[in-house]
Amino acid sequence: MIFILPFVYILLMAVKTKQEAALFLFAWPSEWRAWENLVEVVQTRNYMLLLAYFNSTVITLGAVTLLVIFGAMVGYVLQRRRSPWNRVVYVFLLIGLMVPPAVVPTIWVLQNLGLFKTIHGMILIQVAYGLSFAVLLYRSFIASIPRALDEAAIIDGARPWQVFFRVILPLLKPVTVTLIVVQSVAIFNDFTNPLYYLPGRENVTVQLTLFNFQSQFQSQYNLLFMNILLVTIPPLLVFVFCNRQIVAGMTSGGVKG
Amino acid sequence: MSSVVLSDLCKSFGAIDVIRGVDLVIEPGEFCVFVGPSGCGKSTLLRLIAGLEEATSGTIRIDGKDVTDAEPSARGIAMVFQNYALYPHLTVRDNIGFGLSLARRPKAEIRARVEAAAEALQLTHLLDRKPKELSGGQRQRVAIGRAIVRDPKVFLFDEPLSNLDAALRAQMRIELSDLHRKLGATMIYVTHDQVEAMTMADKIVVLNGGRIEQVGSPITLYDTPASPFVAGFIGSPRMNLYDGRAVGESCATYGIRPEHLKLTDMAPRWRGTVRHVERLGADTVIHLDVPDLGDMVVRADGDRNPPIGSMLGISPLPGREHRFP
Amino acid sequence: MTTRRRSPYPYWFVLPAAVVFVTLFLVPTVASFWFSLTRWDLFEAEFIGLENYRQFFREPFLVQGLVNTLIYAVVTSGAKSVLGLLLAVLLTSGIWFQGFLRSVVFFPVLVSTIGIGIAFAALMHPTRGAINLALAAIGIEGPAWLSDPALALYSVALIDIWKGVGLATLIYIAGLAAISPDYYEAARIDGATAWQRFWRVTVPLVRPATVTVVTLSLIGGLRSFDIIWATTRGGPGFASDVLASVIYKQYQAGFYGLSTAGNVILFLLIGVIVLPMTWGCSKREVDVGACAAMAPVAA
Repeated sequence: MIFILPFVYILLMAVKTKQEAALFLFAWPSEWRAWENLVEVVQTRNYMLLLAYFNSTVITLGAVTLLVIFGAMVGYVLQRRRSPWNRVVYVFLLIGLMVPPAVVPTIWVLQNLGLFKTIHGMILIQVAYGLSFAVLLYRSFIASIPRALDEAAIIDGARPWQVFFRVILPLLKPVTVTLIVVQSVAIFNDFTNPLYYLPGRENVTVQLTLFNFQSQFQSQYNLLFMNILLVTIPPLLVFVFCNRQIVAGMTSGGVKG
Repeated sequence: MSSVVLSDLCKSFGAIDVIRGVDLVIEPGEFCVFVGPSGCGKSTLLRLIAGLEEATSGTIRIDGKDVTDAEPSARGIAMVFQNYALYPHLTVRDNIGFGLSLARRPKAEIRARVEAAAEALQLTHLLDRKPKELSGGQRQRVAIGRAIVRDPKVFLFDEPLSNLDAALRAQMRIELSDLHRKLGATMIYVTHDQVEAMTMADKIVVLNGGRIEQVGSPITLYDTPASPFVAGFIGSPRMNLYDGRAVGESCATYGIRPEHLKLTDMAPRWRGTVRHVERLGADTVIHLDVPDLGDMVVRADGDRNPPIGSMLGISPLPGREHRFP
Repeated sequence: MTTRRRSPYPYWFVLPAAVVFVTLFLVPTVASFWFSLTRWDLFEAEFIGLENYRQFFREPFLVQGLVNTLIYAVVTSGAKSVLGLLLAVLLTSGIWFQGFLRSVVFFPVLVSTIGIGIAFAALMHPTRGAINLALAAIGIEGPAWLSDPALALYSVALIDIWKGVGLATLIYIAGLAAISPDYYEAARIDGATAWQRFWRVTVPLVRPATVTVVTLSLIGGLRSFDIIWATTRGGPGFASDVLASVIYKQYQAGFYGLSTAGNVILFLLIGVIVLPMTWGCSKREVDVGACAAMAPVAA
């Protein structure tokens, strides 16, 4: 019950009238105003929510695509090619996983590269921050693919990139699905990084709209909660359809003992 | 048909020398088997020929051409791996045709060649299956098909039968020998199983510690092993080997095969106590305790069944003893 | 030995990823150590030595942020591991709707932190919030959850626990599944009670999962920002400020050097607390990567 009630509350609040929502009561709405509230939220500030959905989608798709390709390539070379550098790389990966980014210096770097306040800059940031996870996930999976497969392909005349894209990458499908699911939820829900690196009205992301509307809708809690509801829908869909991959990803290897 | 010539080939992994100066000539069309215990370097030697490892020094020639530094795909070889190494995401058809498709051959040609290979290996009805839907023997055939379709000068086999059960292994031995006869191609075959070596090889190369112990036909190796190592490795049950002095000989090591010992009460050379008897049907293998020598294994007729603890006299057949300096 | 042929695993595969990672993560991280020693407006940095750090430890509200960070991380990670284990035991015991309940417990992990924060801010409203109304109905006067300075940090931690315990539960469920039932049967034959079986078999044998959960939630707790920002913005006053919110406030105020010094303190804190733990866990052959694998989601 404790886990469900807050969601019921969000749902109820989202369909109430302005006056009723302002009471904060956990009560059945007297008037069912789902559609009106939905329309009003979407139209607010010049359809900002639609723009935000567009931006968030672009960032998520772009970053996840790059993470899959980069992560798999690095994990592959790291797992297959033994070298003294591997330990160093491994330490950097762990640092990347645990250490929070240094925000202001990152803004400084982004500004110097002309990437500050840009969508592609944001994509690259998400790639940089998600890379460690992707590499480690792929590396441990690739260890289970026999090396003889690479060798068979080499003898069949495959170039290195053909071995990777025609033999290895297709075999990574299960772990790739996991990565896509986990990372898209993480990136779509990310609030902190867009807050720092993507200020400005035209760059707004879905999570930022919530934050912006929080101050604007002081007296219109019904609209604020409708917005929360809308923001919750994409992860809900992912959750319903990809429950298994999420579970696999979140627990992968962590408890091998 | 192509020859394979190795000259003074060496390979080290860091400080460990795995192959220490191998000279070997494999004639065109020959079925050559590398045998030896695990860690003797036989697989490494095969991988050097395939180009999957780089030689530290020495040269490899295939068909007279120096391929020491050539890419694996440029050597004219095909390889069948121990676990088959079939591409799990591709159908049998695409597995066999993968190399041709990488080489950008026309679709019709790929199709024709794949189907010809499948026909020869009775795989036609399986062409659209994935490897995981096949039995062990069928996977083995697909792996061979993938090799055949490349029309290589030399076939390389890396312990290809070790994952099959005994019955299937016997059947595949015959199929491979048939294939060799049909194709007439040069084949190099790595195994640790001396039965495979004895039954299939034209030429056996016995490796030990990264060096060649002996090269020869199966019967040569059986009849005239060059060293106690080869003597112990070829033949089953293995040869009885003793210190020369213990049997009153001047050589360093004295050897006699179990099948070359006879049980006799007429002035036997040794007497031993029966410790263990294995009745195999056609033969009986008797393990004896001989004073001063220790274990001695004798292969006797299937109807012999001496009681444990009884005393037996044993003599070697004349001319069948081996004396290693 | 010289390499005469090219490796089938070329290093250029690593290059694009390495460029992105180094420029956007490593360079700023390393640079932060220098910029934390400067007065800085993003264009010019004037070296002022340890002045930023001195200021940091002089201002009571900044020190409080540091203390709050520690309290918050310890409280959330402790509660998540204990509750996570209990829920996991409950949800593997074969009760009704097990699969459905697991999903329900896990779902909040996937939901927008900001959305959760806003919803709870309303639920926790001192006079009109549903929580206090419910408490009033059974005769308890609920506290001013988010506006009482003594309570605000713990209220936020409570929301965090509610949202994050699903992940801990999931990891524990996987850990429990890895324990062979033989142990339980052996313990039964030895005459252990259910309570003894839990303490003597379950707890020691889910240790790898515990390490994972504690590491993950500690890192997440130390880095925590969005949930605090969505509920209290560090307030009332500075009562629920943590390092991450201090960093943001100083950044907004234009004190870039000071903000970066806060960042460096956060690195060091995580390094000091978490590194020894992951070290210990790598020695027991647990994949360290996976130990911290979910950091992006847990944060």
